[in-house]
Amino acid sequence: MKNRLPLKAMLTLAWRNLWRNYRRTLIMLAAITVGVWAMIFMTALMRGMVDDMLLNGIRSLPGEVQIHHPQYRDDPSINNSFEEPTEKLLDALQIPEVKGWAKRVRVPAVISSERDSRGITLLGVNPTNEIQLSFDLKNIIEGRFLEDQQDRGLVIGAKLAQRLETRLGKRVVVMSQDPQNNIVDQGFRIVGIYKARLPGLEEIYVYSGLETVQKLLKLEQNISEIAITGEDYRNVQHWYPRIKEAAGEQLETVPWYKADTYLGSMLKMMDGFVLVWIVVIFLALSFGLVNTLMMAVYERIREIGLMQALGMRPGMILYQILLESFLLIVIGLCLGNMIAVSTIIPLRDGIDISAVSQGMEMMGSSSMLYPALQLNDVLLANAVVIVLGLLTSLFPAWQAASYDPIEALGKE
Amino acid sequence: MRYFILAIAVCLHSPLAFSSDIEPRELIQQAMDHWRGLSSYSEMSMTIHRPDWERSMSMRSWTKGDKISLVRVIEPKKDAGSGTLTKDNNMWTFAPKINRIIKVPSSMMSQSWMGSDFSNKDISKSTDILDEYEHTLVETREDGQHAVYVIESVPHEDAAVVWGKEVLFIRDDFILLEQQFWDQDDVLVKTMKAREIKTLGGRTVASTIRMGKEEAPEEWTEMSVQDIEFDISNPDSLFTLSSLRNPRR
Repeated sequence: MKNRLPLKAMLTLAWRNLWRNYRRTLIMLAAITVGVWAMIFMTALMRGMVDDMLLNGIRSLPGEVQIHHPQYRDDPSINNSFEEPTEKLLDALQIPEVKGWAKRVRVPAVISSERDSRGITLLGVNPTNEIQLSFDLKNIIEGRFLEDQQDRGLVIGAKLAQRLETRLGKRVVVMSQDPQNNIVDQGFRIVGIYKARLPGLEEIYVYSGLETVQKLLKLEQNISEIAITGEDYRNVQHWYPRIKEAAGEQLETVPWYKADTYLGSMLKMMDGFVLVWIVVIFLALSFGLVNTLMMAVYERIREIGLMQALGMRPGMILYQILLESFLLIVIGLCLGNMIAVSTIIPLRDGIDISAVSQGMEMMGSSSMLYPALQLNDVLLANAVVIVLGLLTSLFPAWQAASYDPIEALGKE
Repeated sequence: MRYFILAIAVCLHSPLAFSSDIEPRELIQQAMDHWRGLSSYSEMSMTIHRPDWERSMSMRSWTKGDKISLVRVIEPKKDAGSGTLTKDNNMWTFAPKINRIIKVPSSMMSQSWMGSDFSNKDISKSTDILDEYEHTLVETREDGQHAVYVIESVPHEDAAVVWGKEVLFIRDDFILLEQQFWDQDDVLVKTMKAREIKTLGGRTVASTIRMGKEEAPEEWTEMSVQDIEFDISNPDSLFTLSSLRNPRR
């Protein structure tokens, strides 16, 4: 191919052409950089928000995988409890994918203080397992968390304490029903007060020792649920069938995305949303890009005509213009990625959005926003910009390539 | 001489006979038994007072032992026939309008009974104070010819009681004059007070009792007994769900 210039020469030409009108190039670069930054940064924020909603949702579900009596999810009453896990299930829970699991008694109950009473969900838990699973000891703002299964103390949320006009160290009465539908009640001393990421949960969940609650409810060794978490909630489908098999037919084992289909579809919806967001930003960018290239071509009509007259093939000219656009895009992408990453990293510890926390709480996310930078999203943004960028540059490039050399040389 | 014997007899009979060695738990037990008898039948009225309205209803009640009771509303007409049966801490209510018996679930036990200042729990579990509290006699007061014992009852750690303590004022003829409910910060929350003492059914009893919250002195409920008979034979069949639904007496 004698009419082909080496790539190196083409690159040099493209590079120099870019900086012939450096002001225009810089403005375009700035546009691409800001666009790419917005794509990545905003995506990370949205991902963070959704992650937060999902994690909070999964945590109160109560786990990535949950085992219940088949009727429990329709009627969370004490009658739908089941016996301690069998050997087989215990073995299955040892697989490395399982990060933590806990058995719980979970029943609706009523808590009353001297001044008020409220409906709650009473959780009888084993504190060690609970901490492995999801309970964060940092959330305890006063007092302590439970010490063991026999702990007779009660840990309640700060908001609940406020509603009941009670506080740490005081006694409250918890009432519920035993399997025979008789009323059971007992006084408990509040040993700890916790703060949840979602204040709504603070009013609902009340923790006490597993054995204490079993005794109160006359449940013997029965439990209401087993909650299991793994490393990453996105990978549950790989390991949960093994647990399901071990749990057997008479128990219902469901992963979080089936337990709460709303949360499940949220993740998929988010993937689609990110793509739409990136494409929309790109569309805005593309007008600038096309315009810049058209101007560059327009300015150089005579030059292009001359090159064609000297024997450069139209294909080469197309190639040349595309290469210019490619350089522009790649520089913009590099800058955009760098700025995006360097703005996200300082915000790793969360953005305080408590000013709008009430609204956020209604959406199920908490008052701290943790941006979540995902490699996939960054790659997607870059791929979209390069591919669509080159596609849109085809138009001015094709225009440049299709000039008639004589006419082009005659233009003033 | 006759007077002397009489005096001794009075002494032996009189509650004062044990005043030197008062067992507070015993005293409360006696007061409860005195009020309830082994069984009883009473006709009473309840007045619920609020700052802007007041309503009264009259009802009949049967009791047997500590744990079984049946209350039925007679008047006003729109509430007539509704009733409450309590048996061993369980409670059922019947509403004729919907013709249904409802077992009061645990979630409603601390709610008000028939819109009054008494909670369902107050109605169904009034004798729990005996076993779930630690009683101490703190003071003996003089009230005319009577002695009044002030007993402080502190609930056990596990007791299903929200109060920090209750203070009972019991007169030496076993009339519960006053019962105070204190919260755990030693603030008085509500008081049940005898406002009238009469001889009814052969016993001297507190015939009018008022329950009121300290925070809202204008809100109270008064129970006033018109007639009461003690130690009558109330058949077991009276305290059944079918009898709650279909009054036979």
